[in-house]
Amino acid sequence: MELFKLEHKKLWRKNSTRVCVLLCFFYCVIFGSVLIYQWLTFGSVKGNTSVSRYFDGYGNIRARQDYFHKYEELTDESLQEWVRDYQCLHEAWEEEKRTQGAVSRETDQQYENTGWQTVNSMLRTLYPELERADMRTVRIMSCYVEPEKLTGVYERREQAIEMFLDISGQTGTERDYLLRIGAKVKTPFSWKWVEGWSNILGNAVSGLGSVIALFLAIVLSSLFAGEWHDNTSPLLLTTKNGWRKLACAKVCTGLLFTLELFAMTAVGMIGSQLVFLGTEGWDMPIQTVKMIAIAPMNMLQAEIYEYAFTVLGALGFAGVAMLFSARCKNHVLALLLSMAVVYGPMVVRNRVPALMEKLFDLLPLVGSGADVFRTNTFHLFGCYIWSPYLIIWVPFVIGVLCLPSAVRGWSRRMRR
Amino acid sequence: MELSVDRLTKQYGSKIAVDCVSAVLKPGVYGLLGENGAGKTTLMRMLCAILESTSGEVFWDGREVVSMGAEYRDILGYLPQEFGYYPNYTAREFLLYMAALKGIPRDTAKKRAGELLKIVGLNDVGTKKMKTFSGGMKQRVGIAQALLNYPKLLILDEPTAGLDPKERVRFRNLISDYAEDRIVLLSTHIVSDIEAIADEVLLMKKGKVMMQGSVSELTEKAAGKVWELTVSPDEAKIWQEKASVANLRHEGEQVVLRILSDDKPAEGAAPCEAGLEDLYLYSMSEYPK
Repeated sequence: MELFKLEHKKLWRKNSTRVCVLLCFFYCVIFGSVLIYQWLTFGSVKGNTSVSRYFDGYGNIRARQDYFHKYEELTDESLQEWVRDYQCLHEAWEEEKRTQGAVSRETDQQYENTGWQTVNSMLRTLYPELERADMRTVRIMSCYVEPEKLTGVYERREQAIEMFLDISGQTGTERDYLLRIGAKVKTPFSWKWVEGWSNILGNAVSGLGSVIALFLAIVLSSLFAGEWHDNTSPLLLTTKNGWRKLACAKVCTGLLFTLELFAMTAVGMIGSQLVFLGTEGWDMPIQTVKMIAIAPMNMLQAEIYEYAFTVLGALGFAGVAMLFSARCKNHVLALLLSMAVVYGPMVVRNRVPALMEKLFDLLPLVGSGADVFRTNTFHLFGCYIWSPYLIIWVPFVIGVLCLPSAVRGWSRRMRR
Repeated sequence: MELSVDRLTKQYGSKIAVDCVSAVLKPGVYGLLGENGAGKTTLMRMLCAILESTSGEVFWDGREVVSMGAEYRDILGYLPQEFGYYPNYTAREFLLYMAALKGIPRDTAKKRAGELLKIVGLNDVGTKKMKTFSGGMKQRVGIAQALLNYPKLLILDEPTAGLDPKERVRFRNLISDYAEDRIVLLSTHIVSDIEAIADEVLLMKKGKVMMQGSVSELTEKAAGKVWELTVSPDEAKIWQEKASVANLRHEGEQVVLRILSDDKPAEGAAPCEAGLEDLYLYSMSEYPK
């Protein structure tokens, strides 16, 4: 225990560790959360360009949440009401632009408060036949669609899922399996402002793993290999606990550091989420973000899943990074190999056969927690398994399997 | 308490680093002398069981040390030639870390670290990061870590490198006290250190132990082979090329040479008392004697 504490202290004493933790926190919490909420995504657009924005995200989010208070559930009526409302606002927006040459900030904000992006995506998924070929230049379908034609939302959703499965070639047993999962989704959907949750589940948390991987690789690649660099191996080898116990202490330190880095980042992100978005909408089903999602989950459950996916993936990746660190004398080589495990598959995944792409998802931090929105499956021993069930555990197991090999390898290598 | 080395050999390809070395070490201070590349560090690493020998074995009280494993490491203290450390650790933290590696309980380790910092004269800078230390200070931390577990066998590879004369004296006294009932093996290029504290000296050349004995026994071997000759500076240059000159001292316009030779090198040469350094240089000399 004492050795573990001191090893942990030693890791934190390194300047590279501190810089990595600081950069990771800054990137994920300050840049990836606070600035996204207050400025980069939810700040009001300046003029007609979407590049520059005002630093007013907090107020906008509140206004957008307020706007949706009138819709409690997603029904044919509420959807039609939303479209009518949107079309009025759009008309006023166009009118103002025509008469005054520019749109006032208030009008623009009212228009943005409607959260048109997600509803537009919903309409395109559920009512593809209403999309007009002659209106291709109008990006937003909600501008021209006739509200009274928007009926049978949930029947349409079921049809859309079936059609999607057909197009994806998911038929027979696989299709039945996925539809059985989808049947657990309860209707009608609670309907509040979705974009905030969409940003969390689609970008922030699902992208956290690939950022953490970089900093974990930098810190953990020197955990074992750094001893060669510091030229301490003759000292360590002549001590009573210098082989296996030290290796075990290093493994525990690596895992604890992974949890610490994850916890610091996740707490920061959740904290800023609570400040900017509050808890409103936690009970909305994730289908309000993506209509053809089959997971019977609400936003909170999906967020918990994505964080769990990230932490288990990070622990798995830590195992892999420590294995490379233990097996390589050069910590730069260990760093490159660790990074190749994550970023290599990410780079080539679109150029490899579908089966290999699926297998890549099983590697630590290569897949995405956002798979809860997808209908991917694995076919194992004659059974179909929905990918989120598998991709959350397999990377962790891979990492765990690497650990004994790291301990053994380092002990053996040190003695050479 | 006995460390015995039986025909220990280490071969790297065609190069023999240590060639069939046998010795028995009992409590006391042993000095290992030899030029660079003589095999001192290789021998010490094999004695510490961190380098596998090509052939031969090392025994501690009759038990083969590699098979003893942690039990052997528990009685061992080692200062490697190139002492690695963690730059961001303070001296005290480094000692506590090493103590944990040696399996010393935390409270005992704290007390022992404090004692050793005082002994090696680093008590005032114990809370400073090691990256701010001079070479000599780092070396003293290295000596302290080797002593943490009161080792029965202490192996120090060039422990006095980088130490100033005052610290060398402090170190010599420390080792002399320590070796009363323990085995201390140290290698150094500073012959006077070995002369001052070693009970027995092992002289290595090209991987072999050429001579072994007490300082007086070895210096006895050099008796009658050390000469002083006073010559002009020009003659001194010639003598340096054709004979083994152990020392050269200017006295006015003349130069006094200390020459190692089996026979009287010149008419004016006078015999003088031999020291360990003379024997060392005599043994290492490539000149005809």
